[in-house]
Amino acid sequence: MLLPKEKLSEALGALAAEANVIAPVKWEGDVFFMPYKGGDVCLEGNGKLPPKDVLFPKTEKMYSYSIAKGTMTEHNDAAATILFGVRSCDAASIERLDKVFLEQGYKDGFYSAKREGLAVIAMGCDKPMATCFCTSMGIDPMKAEVADVQMCPVEGGFTVEAVTEKGKEIVKKWDSLLDKKSKAKPAKVECSLNINVPEDFEKKLMDMFESPIWDDVTKACLGCACCTYVCPTCYCFDINQDVHGDEGTAFRCWDSCMFSDYTRMAGGHNPRPSKKERLRNRYLHKLAYYKDRHGKYLCVGCGRCIANCPAHLDITAFAEKAMEVE
Amino acid sequence: MSVKENWEPKILAFCCNWCTYTGADLAGLNRMKYPENVHVIRVPCSSRVNPQFIIRAFQKGCDGVMVCGCHPGDCHYATGNYYTRRRFMLMKRLLEHNGIDPNRFVCRWISGAEAAKFRDVVTQVSNQIKAMGPNEKFREPYYLEKEAE
Amino acid sequence: MINEIKNACLKAFESGEVGYIIGWQATRFADKTTPLFMRSAEDVEKLVWNKYCVNSTAKYALEDKYPEKKIGIILRGCDSRAVARMISDKQLKRENLYLIGVVCDGKEDPICATCSHKTPVIYDVLIGQPTTEEISPERFAEVEKIAAMTPDERYNYWAVQYDKCIRCYACRNVCPACNCVECYADQYRTGWQGKAHNRAENQVYGLTRAYHVGDRCIECGQCERVCPMNLPIMSQTRKMLKDINDLFGPTECGLTIEEAPVLGEYDLNDREEFM
Repeated sequence: MLLPKEKLSEALGALAAEANVIAPVKWEGDVFFMPYKGGDVCLEGNGKLPPKDVLFPKTEKMYSYSIAKGTMTEHNDAAATILFGVRSCDAASIERLDKVFLEQGYKDGFYSAKREGLAVIAMGCDKPMATCFCTSMGIDPMKAEVADVQMCPVEGGFTVEAVTEKGKEIVKKWDSLLDKKSKAKPAKVECSLNINVPEDFEKKLMDMFESPIWDDVTKACLGCACCTYVCPTCYCFDINQDVHGDEGTAFRCWDSCMFSDYTRMAGGHNPRPSKKERLRNRYLHKLAYYKDRHGKYLCVGCGRCIANCPAHLDITAFAEKAMEVE
Repeated sequence: MSVKENWEPKILAFCCNWCTYTGADLAGLNRMKYPENVHVIRVPCSSRVNPQFIIRAFQKGCDGVMVCGCHPGDCHYATGNYYTRRRFMLMKRLLEHNGIDPNRFVCRWISGAEAAKFRDVVTQVSNQIKAMGPNEKFREPYYLEKEAE
Repeated sequence: MINEIKNACLKAFESGEVGYIIGWQATRFADKTTPLFMRSAEDVEKLVWNKYCVNSTAKYALEDKYPEKKIGIILRGCDSRAVARMISDKQLKRENLYLIGVVCDGKEDPICATCSHKTPVIYDVLIGQPTTEEISPERFAEVEKIAAMTPDERYNYWAVQYDKCIRCYACRNVCPACNCVECYADQYRTGWQGKAHNRAENQVYGLTRAYHVGDRCIECGQCERVCPMNLPIMSQTRKMLKDINDLFGPTECGLTIEEAPVLGEYDLNDREEFM
C-alpha cells in the first residue's frame, strides 16, 4: 500500500482529529517532535531531540499533597498518543526503555500508562546523516522494532504496512487515501559510518574497567550533559519536591550521569569524582552493562551525541579504540 | 489574565539595616501612612542583595522589587553601596533586555532620617505598579497556577 | 603554518620544561576536530590546524592546577584571552603555562566574524604575522536588535529561547569565565537552582550565569558554539558588556593577566541613578 506524498498532511489531520499526534516539525530552525497542529511535517534528519519526552517527560508531576486540606493527589494522566515519523533508531530506543521501565520486576506506573496509550508510526530512513551508525548496532533503518505501523519513503510517497492490531486501526482511518495497488518497495539503506562491533564486545569492555585507555578517551570531555539529554536511550531521572509551605508537589525530572551530584552521597563522598569515571560509566552503560543484562546495546546509533558534543567526542571512535586494546 | 477586583500588588523591598530600615522604622514611629503591600526584608547592607534574589522574587509572585540602601558615602561598611550601585545599574538593564519593565525594579538611596522619602518612594512605586497591573513574567508554574485560581 | 606550530611543539618537548601540549586533532569527520593532548614528541604529528579547529584549548588547563611540568597550550586569539581571564581570576598561574600563540585566520564559526583579537594577547612564542585589529562594528548588533523590541516582545523572544534550553550546562563548562570551583547550580540542597526542567528554572540559570560572567566575558563565543539548542547566549553577556561600555568607558575583557572585573571594583564618580 502506498500513501501519496501530497496526502500525508490529510492522513495526519485525520489522526489528529481523534488523538494527540506527535510528529517531527520544524521549530526555531531545528526539527522537534511536537504536537501536530496541521501543516507540513519535516522528515529530514533525526530531529534535534529524541521522542523519549513523550514517554519520559523532562519534568513530570508525580503527586501533590496539602497538609491543610489533608489531601494527596496522584498525577498520572496519559492521553492516547500517536507518535509519527519515528526512525528505526528512536523506535529501537522505545524498546530499550520498555525493558527498563516495564520488565525489571517493577512496572513504572507513569511510564506504562503513557506507553499503553501510545501507537508508533515508524518512518523508514532513506537518508542517514553523516553521524548515523544504527546499522552497526544491529538496527534496520527500514524496519523499526516497536512500530505499530511501518512506513517507508519511496518515490511519490510512503509505503504503509500495519504491523499490530493498533496499527490496523490507524491504517483503517486512511482507507480512502491509500493506493492499494502500488507494489513500491523501499531500497536497502546503509549508514556511511560503520563500525564492526565484534561478538562479546561487552565482555571485553567489562574487563577494561581499570584500563589506562579511559584517561585518554575522556580527556577532551567537558563534563556537560549534552550527550545524555540528546540521547534517545538515556533514562536516568531524579525525584525532587517543590514545597510551598504546607503543600507541595513531587516531580521527577531528567538527570544525567555526567553531573557531579549524580553519584554524590549524603555524606559528601562521590564515587565518581571526575569526568573520567562519569564518561566511563556512560560508555560502559551503553555498550556493556545493558547488553550484559538485556542482550542488546543501549546505544541505537542515532548519532545525536556525536553531532552535538561540544568537544566532538565520538562514541564510535571510542569503540574502535577499545577494540584495538589487547 | 484579567486583573482581579481589589487586586493589590506584591512588592518586595530589600532594605539596608543601617539606613533604609531605620528610615522605615522612623516612618512608622511618626505614624506616616504608606501602602501595606510593600514587604520589607532587612539586609545588613544593600550590597548583600544577590542579583539572583531579584529574579527569584519575580518568579515567586512579586510584582515589583526594590533595593534600598544608604546614600553613597554613608555606607556603614564604607564602600558597600558603591558596589550596589554598579551591580544594580547593570542588573536593571539586563532585566530590561529580558523584557521586565524597568519600573518594576527600583533602587533608591534612603537614609535613616528620610522617613518621608521612604513613604514617598514606596507610595510612588506602589501606585506605578498598580497602574501596570500584575506581573506574569518569570513566574514559576506553581505561582502561575495559583494566580489563575 | 602547521609545520611552524609542530616545530614549536617539538622544541617545547625538547626543552623538557613542558609536560603536555593541548592542541587539536582530526576526527573521522572532515568538518570536526577534537582537542588533542600531546604527551611527547611522537604525538605531535597528530596535530592539525585548519578552519575546523573551533574548540577552546585553554580551559582544559583548569583541570591541572598543580602540574608537575608546564602545561603547553596552542592558542588562538580567543584562547589567549581565555588564559588571561583565568590568570586574572587567580585560577591559573602564568609560570605554569607554556603558551604557543598562533595568529588565527578565523574559524568555521559565526562568532569569528566579530572577532577583535585574532593575534594572541599573551604568548611565549608567536607564530604568524600579527594583524591590525579593530573592534567590529557588528559587536553589539544582536543586542541592538533586541533593544528595538517592546518589553513584551523581548520577554517572549527569551521565553522561547529558555523553553528550548535543556540545561546541559555545556555553556558553563566551556566558558573560561565560569571557573568557580563549584558552580552554584551544582551545589547541593541550597535552593539556588531547582532541578526541574521548565522555563522558570532555565531563566534563573541563564540570567544568573549571564550576570555572573557578564563583566568578565571575553567574547569568545564558545557558549553559543557549544549550545546544542542554538540559544543566543552571547547576546545576554554582550548586553552587559555594552552597558559597561556605555557606563564605565570602553571595555574589552581578558586582554591582560592583571585585570579586575568591573563589578569587583567601584569609582566614587560612577553615574548616580538611584537618588
